[in-house]
Amino acid sequence: MTAEPVGLTLPGIAAEARRRERNRRLVGLGLITPAALLVLLFLYYPMAFIVQMSFTLGSSYLSPGGPEYSTANYAAMFSRYLPNVLVTLQLAALSTIVNLVFGFPFAYVLVRKIRYRDLVRAFMVFPMFGALYIAFGMRFILLPGGPATPILQAFGISSTAVLYSLPSVVFAMSIFTFPFMVMNIGAALSNVDPTLEEAAACLGARPMQTFRRILLPLTRSGVIAGILMVFGWNIGTFAEPVLLGSINEQRALAWTLYQRGVVQTDYGLSSTMSVVLLVIALVVSYFSLRYSRGALVE
Amino acid sequence: MSAIPVSASDRRPALPRRRLGDLAGHGYVWLVLIVFVLPFLTLLAYSVTGPGGTYAVQNFQYVLGSFGDNLWWSFRVSGLTLLINLLVALPAAYAIVRYPFPGKRLLYSILTLPLYVPGAVIGISLVLVYNFTYHLTTSVWGLVLAMAMGTFPLMLTPIVVALKDLPVAFEEAAECLGATRLQTYWRVVFPLIGPGVSAGLMLCFIIVFNEYLVTLFVHPPSVTTAPLRVFNLVRTAGLAPTTAALAVTMQLISFAAILLFFRVFGTRYLKGTYLI
Repeated sequence: MTAEPVGLTLPGIAAEARRRERNRRLVGLGLITPAALLVLLFLYYPMAFIVQMSFTLGSSYLSPGGPEYSTANYAAMFSRYLPNVLVTLQLAALSTIVNLVFGFPFAYVLVRKIRYRDLVRAFMVFPMFGALYIAFGMRFILLPGGPATPILQAFGISSTAVLYSLPSVVFAMSIFTFPFMVMNIGAALSNVDPTLEEAAACLGARPMQTFRRILLPLTRSGVIAGILMVFGWNIGTFAEPVLLGSINEQRALAWTLYQRGVVQTDYGLSSTMSVVLLVIALVVSYFSLRYSRGALVE
Repeated sequence: MSAIPVSASDRRPALPRRRLGDLAGHGYVWLVLIVFVLPFLTLLAYSVTGPGGTYAVQNFQYVLGSFGDNLWWSFRVSGLTLLINLLVALPAAYAIVRYPFPGKRLLYSILTLPLYVPGAVIGISLVLVYNFTYHLTTSVWGLVLAMAMGTFPLMLTPIVVALKDLPVAFEEAAECLGATRLQTYWRVVFPLIGPGVSAGLMLCFIIVFNEYLVTLFVHPPSVTTAPLRVFNLVRTAGLAPTTAALAVTMQLISFAAILLFFRVFGTRYLKGTYLI
């Protein structure tokens, strides 16, 4: 046993430890400041700004007499623009269903049977480059005279009937978000022990029963996370309805708010639309994060 | 019961029926994958057609010529954004992993919220703020900062993951051996979290390089990036093989970046990000 060094009393050590702890906290705060400033200045303040803006009429924010505050925008939202909200929700919901129906078997085969997973991943990155190229490609395929025209003609369908329609928009949106669904379900599936399925089969369960009674309950959180994530991404759909939909029917909210805000400079109404869009997206994301594989930082 | 030893290798690996199922599974996956890349493949085919159905390298020469300016802007905006992201995300990730904070989870959620806000909302809110408060509408920095805000969480996440996998002992050992703080970061920490940082760089590059939506809202009049040019041309000018060539070029560059990353680092560093 060595004697305690002179001058290092117990209270002294405690004070030193507290001082170091405080220092570390300050350094940590300093390190995080740039990131915090970035989101504060370019996300949170602008969000607060559009909330304020959504209560001003038209472009009255700029008028010399100061902005006119009213809730007329929200009233207009629910009288005139309710169809836009519903169309947006409908497009997102339909593409989510398509993703789920095609994504679950895909994820299953990918996790259980395929060894060349990296090759599949390489294919799956294409939608990540953006919905724009997907919409562009599909527009080219479906335009009259495009590659799909002979096939469609064989069935007696005119290509514009397909091009400017709901299914083509939903199809493009589904391609865009398919990897998210596969990723979430795949992550959940790879945590399910394959022997459980074998046991079910040995006990006489049909594949459908195994799916309903074993796989689906065990991957439920992944499936829900996938559904919410895909839905959340597709809420803000922009290029697909513009390039593939008909202007009168597939009026997605994101496109309408661009038209009203940037083209027609009706800042108030445009802000209201983005507030509505934001609220939907944040609610969906909140639940999506709760169901996803858990936060990285505990 | 006669005990005939059955070794594991004697058993048939797969019953015919099961094999049929496997085949159907593989077929299904490939079918979906082909549908997946169909928009790209048709654009690729279209981009090499010339008048009269001839091969046309001119389309790609046109990309480098008339669209060269747009491509160049895309590269510049991506480069500046990556630089800002790196400067912002590295210290933030280090602080999140290594320093004590009250409410760390909340802080992390606050910092990664940009990923969950629709592009159009980011766009319109920034247009208004740039117009009325920041007066940034004519500067390319407005565009760059918008991109940085929207994508730096993509950089943050892989770096946080990499740092969590790196035991503090390495840094402590370096310090015990007499390394200064800077030396520790430069010689020990950065090389070891290199793959995570590269994953972040790659993800951010792909997203920023191909971003058209936020750009459509906040781009200064003098700056048109390549994806925005594609969007404008497809929407207003009808289709042309040259536009397809530009879109194909953008996708090929992005794909090359991903392949390079896969080749050098493999896919495991993308865990926790939204690619895998």
